[in-house]
Amino acid sequence: MPASTRSWRARAEVKAGDPLSPGPRPHPSTAIRVLGFSLRDRHSGYVFIAPAILLLVAVLAYPALRSLRLSLAHPGPGPGGVTLLQYGELLGSGLFRQVVRNTALFVVASVALHVALGLGIALLLNRPLYGRTAFRVLALLPWVVPDVVAGIIWKWILNPLYGVLNEGLFRLHVIAAPVEWLTAPTLVLPSVILANVWRGFPFVMIIFLAGLQSIPAELYEAAAIDGAGTVQRFRHVTLPGLRKIFVVALALDTIWEVRRFGLIQAMTGGGPGTLSEVLSTQVFKQYFQFFKFEYASAMAIAMTGLLLVVSLPYVRMIVREE
Amino acid sequence: MMHRTWLWARSSLLLTLTVTVVLGLLVPARSQDVVTLRFSNWHLVETVWGRSLREAINIFESRNPGIRISPEPISYAEKEPRYQIECAARRMPDVVKLHNFSLTLFFELGCAADLTSFIQREGPGFLKTWYDTPMQIMTHKGKIMAMPGDFMSMVVIYNRDLFKAAGLDPDKPPKNWTEFLEYARRLTRDTDGDGRVDQWGFSMPASKNPGLPLRILPVVFSFGADFLTPDGRSSAMDSREFREAFTYIVELATVHRVVPPGVTTFGPGDVRTQMASRRVAMKIGSGWSYPIINDLNPSLKAAETLEAAPVPVGRKQTTVAWLSGWIMSPHTRNPDAAWKFIKFLSSKDIEKKFFEDNRVISSRRDVNTLPLVRTDKFSRVIVSQLSQARLEPLIKEWPEIFDAFATALQEAITGAKTSERALADAHARVNAILARPR
Repeated sequence: MPASTRSWRARAEVKAGDPLSPGPRPHPSTAIRVLGFSLRDRHSGYVFIAPAILLLVAVLAYPALRSLRLSLAHPGPGPGGVTLLQYGELLGSGLFRQVVRNTALFVVASVALHVALGLGIALLLNRPLYGRTAFRVLALLPWVVPDVVAGIIWKWILNPLYGVLNEGLFRLHVIAAPVEWLTAPTLVLPSVILANVWRGFPFVMIIFLAGLQSIPAELYEAAAIDGAGTVQRFRHVTLPGLRKIFVVALALDTIWEVRRFGLIQAMTGGGPGTLSEVLSTQVFKQYFQFFKFEYASAMAIAMTGLLLVVSLPYVRMIVREE
Repeated sequence: MMHRTWLWARSSLLLTLTVTVVLGLLVPARSQDVVTLRFSNWHLVETVWGRSLREAINIFESRNPGIRISPEPISYAEKEPRYQIECAARRMPDVVKLHNFSLTLFFELGCAADLTSFIQREGPGFLKTWYDTPMQIMTHKGKIMAMPGDFMSMVVIYNRDLFKAAGLDPDKPPKNWTEFLEYARRLTRDTDGDGRVDQWGFSMPASKNPGLPLRILPVVFSFGADFLTPDGRSSAMDSREFREAFTYIVELATVHRVVPPGVTTFGPGDVRTQMASRRVAMKIGSGWSYPIINDLNPSLKAAETLEAAPVPVGRKQTTVAWLSGWIMSPHTRNPDAAWKFIKFLSSKDIEKKFFEDNRVISSRRDVNTLPLVRTDKFSRVIVSQLSQARLEPLIKEWPEIFDAFATALQEAITGAKTSERALADAHARVNAILARPR
């Protein structure tokens, strides 16, 4: 008999004499009936998750396998069979190396700033504050804005001719000539990261806020009685209490930022030149604009591999908890 | 026994239900008499063109009560990716419009139906009225795969009021590139005296967008340069003529500063807005420019204020032609109705309507010889330049080749690389593209 069944039985026996108990649960092997057909409990679980699994296979596994097969195919007319030609071209491509560098810079800066800003604002919104609910809703608003729309909004804000940022700086006599935020080689990536920080910090903030609310108030009280100051309480109570939340926030945010497409495409299209080109914009271009299906698939597979590595800590944590 | 019968009944019920649901999902409902055609066109999202197309659809539906047109708007940049995906899934709209350099790709991918038999059924002489060049582009491996749409040359569009204000004769547009630069310099001004330049001589959509080749190639070609060698096997971007053309375009932004800042982020729509708001005096455009700008700012009175002139002459007098084509999905379930609609869209009266509404020039001689077209101040110039106009290279690699150029252009304008370095890198990249197995 499986251990889980044994423990369930033990609980059921304890509850048997309790008048408030809802009564014994059905025996695990008791049949349930669907359209007149009987299914055992341990099988019915599979039936219920089958639609989700089928959907995942249809929209995820099948296209992923097709992409993998395409990435190993010979481009154009030539011999059939499997080849690593596309992966070789990827490794030898200076543009691909630059795109990986840009992606790494974009992701690291975005995630770091999301975490810093998200945690800071979550700490503020976790304190007793007049109009706290309103502030929480306001802080969430950038998250509600679709990716592409956020990109267009920021493109207009940073427009050298009509943008409010340059106009404001002019009026304050900070600048004498328009700053080309999205075309100057040194400013373009920081400008895109700035827009992305605005767009993405609310998600991290909400996760941290949920984490902060789950830390028992007694711990802070006990720490205060022991003479811990604000910094010490943050260091010894808040941070350890948020450890798991940190992993979740870092892993999910990193995965999302590696895949970020709409905002960058709308703001710069990867330009000027290739200065703000990231993996997602390159995959799109190679596949849909240059029609290099095999090469784009190899790039997408490389990107997926990178994402799997990034998601490992998150997966490990879930497995440990299971 | 009774239990077994009950089990069979339940099983049959379950099987019937499943089959009904699956069939219901797979087989679309069909009306007895009315055929619905899916029609996708990027112009449907544009105010002026969209209105004109919807009116045309109404005319078609009233003439063909058995056919209903379901319009599917799409953005200009999104059309190729989406149609490709839909074609692979055998779900491409029944009739779509594409521009010339996408046509070859769609023909090669098998994403266009062969129209030859439909055309043959129309009888001899049906194609006589169309110009030869568009018909050649619509033909692939001896089969007619599309019907020509609009066919226009790219010209200079300028604001005569801004010319006058800058002390330039609006009836004497620049004839060569030296004059063009001189005009652009004089038109770049601080008009309100606050110490900031607020009007520029010229603007171009130098972001990476499908409209950029149409605005850049006239300059490159007129300098006597070309992107590819005559055999199409290598890059010709290292020629003296090409370097001169490239440097000229780059220096408009970096040295002479006659284009607005941030030019590498502009799309065609941005440039039209700049012209509509009198911030820019000259741009390269075509027949569609005037109605769109007029719609953006009616107070500009674009019909009177704007003028068209041939592209300035460098070593050659030449420009680039815009050509579009109507294609039928190879997977359409209603090929006869789809052909009827394509024939309607490329008919004389509808092409005339498109000219009246949108000022686009037809691929049909019988439309372009109408007094209405011959006397219009924009179309007169556009039609006159068609004989000198060249098309973008019709090879599958063209989008990637032009991306290499656009990357170099942006790098040189923004100072990420020197002009020489940027162009040399683009030249090497184009050669690498052309060296791949084709």
